[in-house]
Amino acid sequence: MAVWLLIALGLSLAAAGVSLAVGDRRLSGWVSAAAAVGAFAAVLVAVFAYHASRGRHALDGVFYVDGLSGVFMVAVAFVYAVVAVYSVGYLRPHIGHIRLRRVYWPLLNLFGLALLVTPMVANLGVLWVAVELTTVVSALLVTSEGSDESLEAGWKYIVIGSAGLAIGLLGIVLIYASGVPSLGDHYTPTYSTLAHAAPHLTRSLVRAGFAFALVGFGTKVGLVPMHAWLPDAHSEGPSPISAMLSGALLAAGLYAVLRIGAIAQRAVGASYVHVLLLVFGAMSLVLAAFFALRQSNYKRLLAYSSIEHMGIVSLGVGIGGPIAAYGAFFHVLVHAAGKALAFFGAGDLLSRYETREVDGVRGVIRLAPFTGVMVLLGALAITGVPPFGIFRSELLIVTGGFSRSSFALAGLLIVFANVAFVGVYQTFHRMVVSAGGPPGDRSERVQRRQQPLMAAAMLASLAVVLVLGLWIPGPLNQLLHSAAAVIGGRS
Amino acid sequence: MHAAPHYDFAHATAALIAIAALLSGLALLAVKQVHEQVRVYAVLSVFAAAYTLLVGVDRADAGLIVLAVWTAVIKVIVIPVSIDRVVTRQVSEHEVPLVVQVPMSLLIGVALAGLAYWSAAALPIHGALLPAPALGMPISLVLIGLFFMITRQNVISQIVGLLTLENGVFLATVAIASGLPFAIGFLLLLDLLPAVLFYGVFARLIAARAKGTSIEDMTVLRG
Repeated sequence: MAVWLLIALGLSLAAAGVSLAVGDRRLSGWVSAAAAVGAFAAVLVAVFAYHASRGRHALDGVFYVDGLSGVFMVAVAFVYAVVAVYSVGYLRPHIGHIRLRRVYWPLLNLFGLALLVTPMVANLGVLWVAVELTTVVSALLVTSEGSDESLEAGWKYIVIGSAGLAIGLLGIVLIYASGVPSLGDHYTPTYSTLAHAAPHLTRSLVRAGFAFALVGFGTKVGLVPMHAWLPDAHSEGPSPISAMLSGALLAAGLYAVLRIGAIAQRAVGASYVHVLLLVFGAMSLVLAAFFALRQSNYKRLLAYSSIEHMGIVSLGVGIGGPIAAYGAFFHVLVHAAGKALAFFGAGDLLSRYETREVDGVRGVIRLAPFTGVMVLLGALAITGVPPFGIFRSELLIVTGGFSRSSFALAGLLIVFANVAFVGVYQTFHRMVVSAGGPPGDRSERVQRRQQPLMAAAMLASLAVVLVLGLWIPGPLNQLLHSAAAVIGGRS
Repeated sequence: MHAAPHYDFAHATAALIAIAALLSGLALLAVKQVHEQVRVYAVLSVFAAAYTLLVGVDRADAGLIVLAVWTAVIKVIVIPVSIDRVVTRQVSEHEVPLVVQVPMSLLIGVALAGLAYWSAAALPIHGALLPAPALGMPISLVLIGLFFMITRQNVISQIVGLLTLENGVFLATVAIASGLPFAIGFLLLLDLLPAVLFYGVFARLIAARAKGTSIEDMTVLRG
């Protein structure tokens, strides 16, 4: 298994090096796309062929892969692959507006590398370093369109994200200190060491540590009220990077929260961890659903949808029990694919209409039918309409809520998922189906031929979110069950 | 017989360093000039390095002693000089616009320190050499750093606030988890370097665009 994990990391690192050496040439894009797809394949082999759901150490304890990390590795690697393919098309002349073209590919590959490392490592300290690396690299990518707005968004992101991560590190330090009485002054804070020692950890320190970690890493997840950076970064970054932020970066932050939560749960009981997740999850769901109703910028609308979905996952894990937790982890996967599709569609719209404003986009289905269909399907997918996977995951979380008599929480999810549906779908429907179009001088740009690689990335994302709504393959089913057992599924 | 005086001296010195570090954090709130803020951060970092050295010597831990030297090099010299040279000289304005004025900032700073000591007292933990509650001073610095970042509308000041916050976390690590593997301590410090360089790049871009490092005009993205 270690070989496949190393291949995945090596491919993205090699692609970063090659693209840095080659510079702004087509070769950079092709090498990066091939490496990202290869990394995704290697992750699939590592996770499924070696039954990672059982929990395995690899490379002398450097890596640790179990159901929880397996789910996040697959989600992250998939988004990295489709974003790289989409970007090859998006960076063609006269499509995406990216000024920092020379550093785009090296940074994208380093971003992919840091995101892949995050769920692979076996040690809390290295986990923090990996998450911190994602911030440094992705903040530069957010500014790669070179506008004043993207600079403002990038600055907010780096400052708020870094402050959050420092607080997350304090959480890790407290968790470490909780083990000193039983494990001694010098020990390596691997997950398995802490999990085995959990009954002997100092409980009050574990409680404080998890609270700090939730607030700190929750800033990266975009949980309310630490979400202030997220709508700006998602809306002002280039669309493929927005997809990467939404589908992979938020998931990586959530992984850190849940990994520490899994240790805390063993030490202080599930209810403490679940209650904190429920509070932040419910706040995120409710606030984001309301904000989705009043957005005039369609990329910003998708950003609030991401906050809503992270709230749903937190709610699912917080409700607890095998059904809701299974649904929550399934939601991570389908949200990654669904949100990639939605941001790819938004990127296509932006490249044609050259505006992020909803009022500036009309008549898409008539002028660019493929884009129109993809945008509408993306909106339906992320709002949880059947038969898409997000409908299935939300249904599982609601069912899990009812099975544990958490009627209020299940009701909350039903109500606010529908509020978000109204906000998101109504907006995209208006842009795609309504009559009208751009001024005459821009209609040629709007009606340009569909870029095949951008279309391929959209179709791949659509296929995943649709197929998973209809059928969950056996090995994935097993992986999701084991992820649910790590946190949330036992009690 | 020989161990007790050494023990007392180490505890007394640690207590003095903790007080000095806390006062440095509060002093940051009283300073309006960008250059002076960077210097106060450097002074605070001197205390962070001194405390690490003291704990290292007291425990005869070579790793901590090396970490203390490394901390002094990076945080007292490299980072302040980098910020000073790369960014601050390009800035036209030197006095930072304040959301909360100095007297009120100091009052809030003292209140935050009180809150930090009160909440740290609830945690059953003994810090290396520090008087109880061991986490009082580090958490005070975290809160003061956060407050500083929020109320100073200048990119350099925000970097200084973030680094102050990070110093609080670093001191907490040395105080309550000084055994946290040496390699991780180094990784964290190494991680700080590219981050600071990156902040420098950002600050220069903002300065170039806005003819200064004030963020008062960064209000386009809302809602």
